[in-house]
Amino acid sequence: MSAAIEPGLADPVGQAQQIFRAALHALAHPGRRTALPCAACVGGLAGGIAGLLLALADETTPVWWQPPLAAALADWLRFHTGAPRAEDPQQAAFAVVARPQALPALARFAAGTPAAPEFSTTLLIAVPSLSGGAELEWHGPGIAGALRVEVDGLAPSFWADWQANHAAFPQGVDALLVAGEALVGLPRTTRVRRLEAI
Amino acid sequence: MTAASPPPTAARRQDWLAVLARADTAQLERAAAALQPWPAYRRLRAPQAGMVMLRARIGGSGAPFNCGEATVVRCALQFDDGRLGVGYALGRDRRKAELIALLDALLQEPARSQALLAQVIAPLRAGQMAARTAAARATAASRVEFFTLVRGET
Repeated sequence: MSAAIEPGLADPVGQAQQIFRAALHALAHPGRRTALPCAACVGGLAGGIAGLLLALADETTPVWWQPPLAAALADWLRFHTGAPRAEDPQQAAFAVVARPQALPALARFAAGTPAAPEFSTTLLIAVPSLSGGAELEWHGPGIAGALRVEVDGLAPSFWADWQANHAAFPQGVDALLVAGEALVGLPRTTRVRRLEAI
Repeated sequence: MTAASPPPTAARRQDWLAVLARADTAQLERAAAALQPWPAYRRLRAPQAGMVMLRARIGGSGAPFNCGEATVVRCALQFDDGRLGVGYALGRDRRKAELIALLDALLQEPARSQALLAQVIAPLRAGQMAARTAAARATAASRVEFFTLVRGET
């Protein structure tokens, strides 16, 4: 007998398409909030992240789970999508981060190769809020000029890491920041400047 | 699994799932109705139809190749005590997949497993074997033996 497995998407085809569209929109318009149709919360995992995993993960995308997340979640995802668990962040196609303050250095994740930069890790980060926190200015493809964005919950070292990640283009990681039902995309092409209050 | 009895081995479970998949929906309805009342269950995966790629081997034992796609329905449900039932069947009959998943979960009950196998699976299996034997016999009756009587060489 297995432990109780949480259900997946209520409408697998329709919801998966909506979630994919939201992720696509978020990465195409970095910094802008996109409404994310949510799956039900699963064992401590935010509904937004659960929905993204159900829509995007499959048997070819190993998923790395930030340590305190239980093995039950890996089983749940494996049941619904076939996605294997990646022990090593370098092997992961997706990385689930529930505690952004304890996010490992971005260099620990897969950054792709010069010939295949798309084989990198996409970070799914659950942030507490998309207001408050450090004030940032985002520039890059998909942003007209500059955009003021606030993201709460990420350690200050993340933005220093991000600068290095951005400089490594075309390689690097991408991130999807989820706060409740709002999604903000942070592709590797986005340059982030911290605005320090003087 | 409970500590009381050993869980069904994978082979046994594959065996009864194969028998259930070959049964038709009416037989499955009757078998499931006979086992009422069912425990409360929730659907982990609502019955859905999709495609699988059938793999075959050339000559039955040679190199594998993709033979073609087949429509398959599947369903997964879970009882409150944790038993997980899965149902897979060829075709588009969603009710059939749900019935197979329900019967699969019911058959995993450790205490009644043997009795349920005798009550549900054995008759279905006997019917399928009989049908297969009858078809083989009918085919064999149409077999033609060729004998060479005279070679027309001279």
